[in-house]
Amino acid sequence: MGYNHTEITRSRYQQFENRKETNMEIQVRNNGDITILDLSGNLIIGRSEESLRDLINNLIAEERKHLLINLAEVPMIDSSGIGAMIKSFTSLRAVDGQMKVLKPSRMARQLLTITGLLSVLETYEDESAAISSF
Amino acid sequence: MQKPAQLKIINRFGATRFLSLNKPVFTIGRKADNDLQLLSDTISRQHAEIVYENEVYYLVDIGSKRGSFVNDQRIERIALQHQDRLRIGGDEDQQIVFLDNTVENASAIFDSSPQLTLTLSSDDRLRAASANEELQKLARFIEVNQAFKFSLTPDDVLCLIIDAAIEITNAERGFLMLRNENGDLEFKVARDRERNWLLGNDFSMSRSVVEEAFKQNRSVIINDTLESASHLARESVRSLDLRSIACIPLRRFQMSENMDATTVLKRDVIGVLYIDSHVIGGTLTETSLRLLESLAFEATKSLENVRLMHEEQEKKNLEQELGMARAVQVALSPTASRQPDHFEIASQSIPSRYVGGDFYDLIPLKDSRSVFVLGDVSGKGIAAALLAAMAQGALQAQFASDLPLTEVITSLNKVLVQRSATNSFITLFCSVLDRDGQFTYINAGHNLPILARTSGQTEMLTTKSVVLGAFDFVQYHPRQTRLNRGDVVVMYTDGVTEAVNTKNEMFGDERLEDLVRGSVALSANEIKNRILDELLGFTRGLPQGDDITLIVLKMR
Repeated sequence: MGYNHTEITRSRYQQFENRKETNMEIQVRNNGDITILDLSGNLIIGRSEESLRDLINNLIAEERKHLLINLAEVPMIDSSGIGAMIKSFTSLRAVDGQMKVLKPSRMARQLLTITGLLSVLETYEDESAAISSF
Repeated sequence: MQKPAQLKIINRFGATRFLSLNKPVFTIGRKADNDLQLLSDTISRQHAEIVYENEVYYLVDIGSKRGSFVNDQRIERIALQHQDRLRIGGDEDQQIVFLDNTVENASAIFDSSPQLTLTLSSDDRLRAASANEELQKLARFIEVNQAFKFSLTPDDVLCLIIDAAIEITNAERGFLMLRNENGDLEFKVARDRERNWLLGNDFSMSRSVVEEAFKQNRSVIINDTLESASHLARESVRSLDLRSIACIPLRRFQMSENMDATTVLKRDVIGVLYIDSHVIGGTLTETSLRLLESLAFEATKSLENVRLMHEEQEKKNLEQELGMARAVQVALSPTASRQPDHFEIASQSIPSRYVGGDFYDLIPLKDSRSVFVLGDVSGKGIAAALLAAMAQGALQAQFASDLPLTEVITSLNKVLVQRSATNSFITLFCSVLDRDGQFTYINAGHNLPILARTSGQTEMLTTKSVVLGAFDFVQYHPRQTRLNRGDVVVMYTDGVTEAVNTKNEMFGDERLEDLVRGSVALSANEIKNRILDELLGFTRGLPQGDDITLIVLKMR
């Protein structure tokens, strides 16, 4: 059985469009001066990376400048997600803040390693260790 | 008569330009019809004016959102003094200084040529300066690209393109002409380097150059260094006393699918971008020519978008953009493969339906050394493809200036960080191979190339360096290894290892490494073909979401 090429491409456009719509949830917790962002869902192109950047900009405006990003429930990150993390890290650094990463999944850790970000972003497996590192 | 006052504008890279305040009301804002157009989202479309009354210049804020400042004080209306520093909105990119020409010593400032502050610590300043210029052009290009993200009208976009074309080529004036319903060319935008609109009687220009570009659908360049025009066209240029001309056709690409599922690109010429200059020595480099062609392409795209929006064909819009961007990418790939005698090289790039930003290059240096470049711009679409092209141009220019690998990568990173307001970054593997097999490389966040020795051992080439365009504080340190006769290096982008089949499985790093290890005895070309065959067998022709690029290097 042969594929109808147009059908395949259409369905891939649809996948691409659907991916954009996928929402990632972010829970915000405070622990003293430190704000913990529990992300769940894929950090990929579209709303999820935009909402992360918007949230961090709002936190900076509220003088919350020490952020711990919990990636335990983030199975997948793409290059836009990496871009959002770079931008967030830079924005915080510019206001003397800090951003650290908690429990990256296997795939996320692999991507952070390849892109060299592990040499810049501090990552922790234990939340209390991460909190006391600030 | 008294000389009018001027604004001295210095951009982030130290390039200086002067604008004459030669009218009663000089306007400043984000829209293209302002006398000084500033591209930042902190600047209102109509932001401020410099008004000349009773021999005094006043800066007047005309109800902007983010305010206007003189010497860091927010102002509504203030009389300007010689050497006052102006800030418009939150724009920190440009330093703007008011110069009153009635004050002595002011004239000395006008004679100073643009100075570049982005220093490359090389002894040979001249060579560094030319590389520096290429970086500046890259910076300017990124700026223009970002401007497209603002909600500008089509006319704004066209002005922006002309202004940028004039600026990067140092030309005196530029025209944009479009084909009308009868098939004849009509003027759409005409501007000079002070960003004034030109009037009809200033339009004396080389008709034959324009005809040649339009009818034969090719770029026509007449210049001190580059020449690509017929005898007739050259004659007409001489009679007009013009020194350099570039005329680039605006091509529209239409992608359509054949019955056998291949895509074809149809193109026709909808107009031309024309710039010229009377000044001797305004030479066009390869890079500025490529940039000009990119700009012409952007012009076409923005015009097409207007047409498509009109027809409310969103899907077609997407197809069109993809088709055009793919065509540009194909046009910018390395043209001839240069095969030296101490190694073999084989490379191939398969663009995806969603245009990515893969780029690769082989740059020959002095003393039989060669540079291998493989990069991937994050994100997709036209912006990624064009940024890739320009990064490639900047790398070529800097290596041509004989700068060491570390400096080249460090300065490219700085420019990308400073200019990139978006989230885009570049992963890059860049290496230099000496004649005796010394292989020096920097891996800035790119997929790890596989080095396979004839003994059957493999190594992954990493320097653990960060992607380019992310952080200005990181350093890039190269590593070295020696390649012996028969050793193979396979460089690739993530489109290879992340290619998926219909079961949504990935091709994967391990499969690739095994394949390379088992193919060491083959020639570079055979290894490349074997990997691609395996890959296509795996995906069974499923269209991929990312570009696939592969380079195989084998020592003779």
